[in-house]
Amino acid sequence: MSAGWRYVPKTPLARFVHGFEENAIALMLGAMTLLTFINVVRRYLFNASLIWSLEVTLILFSWLVLFGIAYGFKVTAHLGVDAITNMVSRPARRTMGLLSAAICIAYAVLILKGSWDYWAPFADLPPTTGRWFPTGFDWTARGTSYFETDQIPMPGFLRFLEDLINYGDSYAKLPRMVPYIMLPVAAALILFRIVQATIRIIRGEQDSLIVSHEAEDAVEEAAALNRD
Amino acid sequence: MEVLLLFVMIVGLLLIGVPIAVSLGLSSIIFLLAFSDTSIGSVAASLYQAMAGHYTLLAIPFFVLASSFMSTGGVAKRIIRFAIACVGHLQGGLAIAGVLACMMFAALSGSSPATVVAIGSIVIAAMRQAGYTKEFAAGVICNAGTLGILIPPSIVMVVYASATDVSVGRMFLAGVIPGILAGAMLMVTIWIMARIKNMPKGDWQGWGEIWLSFRGALWGLFLIVIIMGGIYGHPWVRFDGGSLIYWKGGAFTPTEAAAVAAVYAFFIATYVYRDMGPLAGKDGAAPLSLLQRPQAIITGFFHEDTRRTLFEGGKLTITLMFIIANALILKHVLTDEQIPQHIAGAMLDAGLGPITFLIVVNVILLIGGQFMEPSGLIVIVAPLVFPIALQLGIDPIHLGIIMVVNMEIGMITPPVGLNLFVTSGVANMTMMAVVRAALPFLGVLFVFLIIVTYVPIISTWLPNSVMGPEIIIK
Repeated sequence: MSAGWRYVPKTPLARFVHGFEENAIALMLGAMTLLTFINVVRRYLFNASLIWSLEVTLILFSWLVLFGIAYGFKVTAHLGVDAITNMVSRPARRTMGLLSAAICIAYAVLILKGSWDYWAPFADLPPTTGRWFPTGFDWTARGTSYFETDQIPMPGFLRFLEDLINYGDSYAKLPRMVPYIMLPVAAALILFRIVQATIRIIRGEQDSLIVSHEAEDAVEEAAALNRD
Repeated sequence: MEVLLLFVMIVGLLLIGVPIAVSLGLSSIIFLLAFSDTSIGSVAASLYQAMAGHYTLLAIPFFVLASSFMSTGGVAKRIIRFAIACVGHLQGGLAIAGVLACMMFAALSGSSPATVVAIGSIVIAAMRQAGYTKEFAAGVICNAGTLGILIPPSIVMVVYASATDVSVGRMFLAGVIPGILAGAMLMVTIWIMARIKNMPKGDWQGWGEIWLSFRGALWGLFLIVIIMGGIYGHPWVRFDGGSLIYWKGGAFTPTEAAAVAAVYAFFIATYVYRDMGPLAGKDGAAPLSLLQRPQAIITGFFHEDTRRTLFEGGKLTITLMFIIANALILKHVLTDEQIPQHIAGAMLDAGLGPITFLIVVNVILLIGGQFMEPSGLIVIVAPLVFPIALQLGIDPIHLGIIMVVNMEIGMITPPVGLNLFVTSGVANMTMMAVVRAALPFLGVLFVFLIIVTYVPIISTWLPNSVMGPEIIIK
């Protein structure tokens, strides 16, 4: 039913990265929940609220999902339809697996280009030219590094950005390039993880990029109770 | 024409095993780059804004998290005990109790597979021990588990509300009566089947057991009170003159209610039930009291079980939101091309009445439900049919409930019903066996779908009487 393959980190570095990814996902979700909860409590008890809380929560939500998509490709957690792939012969399944891996790579490349093009002006960097694939840098594009978030205060340790990208002008609020930076970072990670999965498919260690439903892990545990 | 090509491409990619999210996203990107002047940069921006720009969707991770805490704790066990105490003495009592337990668990969790796993893994084993066939047990749980998305809170309803700009609060209220009705219809069917086939019945354990088991399950069931009370209003105290206790109406947004529910669920699982976290008894030992280990008040937040649950909730959120975010790109394509208006025009020109329209919606969703994850399908189909429904005078809340019930049936219709997969895994049966087992109850849900579709008052009465009549925005 599933890809018949489960990710197990083998080297110390892989274990560290795996732990980091899982902790980051847990931490971001925990922070979102607590921030929203604390804001409700503050409103009830003190009739006050943290003005930046909602914006930070939404940014964390975006970061959680974008960052997590790459993790999902690494451990084969993304949902798909396996009705056909389970019916066909093994060589055909392998061909379909390779084909869908190539399609995923195309998707990741497009998203990476789009993410860079969108983020770069906010960091006073040149976006790429070309409609489908990057053909070079567009040095004439105007930077928009002066755009700030709506409510989030500027933390002191990021003040170096003022000289680096904002021509010395000070930021009153956190510049937008900071939350948006997750777009190119996550897109690059996604591409990297899909390429890794593709290599595993080529080597025959796994045969697809999908699972058929969201509860596959939990079901395996529960199934143990109902074995004959 | 190009749009037809777009849909053919999506289905083609899905069938060769491309992840749903990538199929939707890549097809839409190719369409946008080839036929419109949208840049790839703005597609990436909309991927980011799918999360950061949708406050309503923020409720999803919180409901998922609340449900994860409730599933890891022994809440399911306590709810099942309460359900058995209530109806276990009837003929076919354990099966009826299974349905009742699914209904109660559905009120704590927003997803159907979660309900099947939590209740099914215990009840199916118990039913076999009591002398029911495995097929019957699997069929019951497989169907009753679909109530997870109809009884509030429901992730699918949050997605529908976000896609069509109706109120989440209204949708949740609208699901209450249909949810109870569907559960009741399933229970009556089981009771009649049990009478005919002379199935086992349990012993009446007395009112004492009902009270005891209710007290055990109360902390878990209180979650639904927090969610509903937070959204629709609850009694509260004030000290600024006037009466001390007053009715505080609608104090939380559904998103806030979900976050409060998640924190509450963590607190109950870790410090009250103590099935997980630093106070849990190891290897069957009794749980510790907070006095024995006071530092748990801090360590509970960082305990391995807490981290694990947060991570599992995060992972499920990621897979759902990846699909929804890409479905939103497709929605963007469809609205840009004015597809909903074209379809609406064609349907109205063909003289389509409300009844035929609803049949068409049913068919589209039943077919679509074969390939797609429910929330992704809602994001795509809702904007297509919503404007037509408004023109035909169909209540948007009623339409939402119809769509949710269709998703339920899609989950148990072969070949790709989500609940069929989960049940076949949980009960350790083949897919075909589960399909056959679910079939008689599938008939019940079909009758229910017809009732819900053509008797709108079942869905609209409760929200309209609590929150006032719907103001339709065109």
